[in-house]
Amino acid sequence: MTGDGAILEVNRTFLAWTGHGAQALVGKRLPDILPIAGKIFYDTHFAPLLHLQEHFDEVALDFVCADGSRMPALVNAVESRDRDGRREFIRLAVFRTADRRRYELDLLDARNRAEEAVRLEREISQLRDQFIAVLGHDMRNPLASIAAGMRMLGKEPISDRGRRVVELVEGSVVRAVGLIDNVLDFARGRLGGGLTLARDATEPLEPVLRQVVNELRSIAPDRTLLADYALADPISCDRGRIGQLLSNLLGNALTHGARDQPVRLAARTEADMLRITVSNGGTPISAATMERMFQPFFRGQIKSNRDGLGLGLHIASEIAKAHDGTLTVTSDARETCFIFEMPLAPRGQ
Amino acid sequence: MTSAVDGMEHDLVGRFAVNVIGAGPETIMFAHGFGCDQAMWRYVAPAFGQDFRVVLFDFIGAGNSDLAAYDPDRYASLAGYADDVVLLARSLGIAGGIFVGHSVSAMIGVLAAKQAPELFAKLVLVGPSPRYIDDEGYTGGFSALEIEELLEFLDSNHMGWSQAMAPVIMGNADRPELGVELTNSFCRTDPDIAKRFARTTFLSDNRGDLAGIDAEVLILQCRNDAIAPVAVGEYVHRAIAGSTLSVLDATGHCPNLSAPDETIAAIKAFV
Repeated sequence: MTGDGAILEVNRTFLAWTGHGAQALVGKRLPDILPIAGKIFYDTHFAPLLHLQEHFDEVALDFVCADGSRMPALVNAVESRDRDGRREFIRLAVFRTADRRRYELDLLDARNRAEEAVRLEREISQLRDQFIAVLGHDMRNPLASIAAGMRMLGKEPISDRGRRVVELVEGSVVRAVGLIDNVLDFARGRLGGGLTLARDATEPLEPVLRQVVNELRSIAPDRTLLADYALADPISCDRGRIGQLLSNLLGNALTHGARDQPVRLAARTEADMLRITVSNGGTPISAATMERMFQPFFRGQIKSNRDGLGLGLHIASEIAKAHDGTLTVTSDARETCFIFEMPLAPRGQ
Repeated sequence: MTSAVDGMEHDLVGRFAVNVIGAGPETIMFAHGFGCDQAMWRYVAPAFGQDFRVVLFDFIGAGNSDLAAYDPDRYASLAGYADDVVLLARSLGIAGGIFVGHSVSAMIGVLAAKQAPELFAKLVLVGPSPRYIDDEGYTGGFSALEIEELLEFLDSNHMGWSQAMAPVIMGNADRPELGVELTNSFCRTDPDIAKRFARTTFLSDNRGDLAGIDAEVLILQCRNDAIAPVAVGEYVHRAIAGSTLSVLDATGHCPNLSAPDETIAAIKAFV
């Protein structure tokens, strides 16, 4: 083509591919044998680029054949200039790419469908999380009523058997509320709210821990739960959350530990750290399980009559992180031990 | 070619890849059209650096602009692009300056000038078109079907739009060790944004905006332009009272690249 884009010469191969006669093409401009998109592309992008950098490689263009059909092609273009820097001519090397183009379009199509599928999945997942949050929240009300009712009933004159039933129901409510708390925390975390935390050192932690231990003893009265406290220093923490963490760990130990061995709790402060350990006996946890057990919804390969959701350990580890602390586990034939450690004061104080 | 841009917010310079060259009492601002970036002015803009402060920039989606700033709602109409021109011009302290717009940015300049008449005393419209689709009594150059085909085609096929907009190290004879070069390093246009810009451009109708322009207007029309044919240039000339129409002996849509000397001469005679 001339520097202006007028077709000067066309080789036989191109003529054969497109069915045009040489006379029909010479003198025409390249856009004349391009479809509308190609015409606009040529004048707004192809030609400018060629003027600027004297070559344009790997352009995907469709040519319009003599019979009106399209020939998909890949084009390399090069401009040459004379001694004065004026454009002499433009040469195009054209490669047919029907199969290649089909492959590219297939890939583009597959990618679009995959992106759409991901978007849909995300939408569904978000709806699901919102639903869980609402459900959990709504369930608190009836549970609160039950708890209140049981408290009132407990004050009435009732038989020993009746008192036993009240205790059982209260224990169940405690467990149900624990489950809901975990679910809500999880849903809130997924929706980006994060784990809420209110840290201070205005009150001692020990009473909160004792309360949790009592609750769990009431749920599992036939089990031995030994607690040892040595909390000498003030601890800046969210006491409710630490209580939740302990509740999850103790519940875990009671569920999975050997029924004929005690569950031990030790809570102490030393060297500016708070350290809470919960241990139980029984079958050691496998290394594979230990790697994944802090992930949400992980339930291991144990008892199928579990009514847990697999969130307890995950939430506990999130609470640990939120306090700049760690939650780790060791397990051998003698005992399985969960260790929670956190600094007594937030970093930077 | 870059120089420090005084008094302009740093993030605007980055967002629009603003380049200022030359110096002078007046400012001349060059805007690129669809399908390319400020590089398309490289044979024309420097000729004005002696007498003018020359401003070059990339619209969002082109060249070195910040792609993250692309807002599909804002740029669904040319008004969004015009807002950017006004923002940039004000930030640069342009008053009574000259705006040179190529192709669709000619209309963007018109909209900007009507929004803020104090910015530009003169407008140079290179290959302008207020509407590309033919209408009753109006020749735009394209049928509705053709534009539809264009948009469908852009949706499904990236053609040769330069893909990677990531920073590129230019291969350079002096520093061959910097060798890695994108094949097509000028006129970089993000393909997804190009699709949308094409939609905005080719479906636009700004015939009503041609009246009531305060600035002096020069129209540069190529004698053989498929995208903004002579009939359109004449229409714009008739619609803008007091405008000057200058037909360049150039083929194609980009005289700033294919006939830079004529383009420079025509603009210099006007400003």
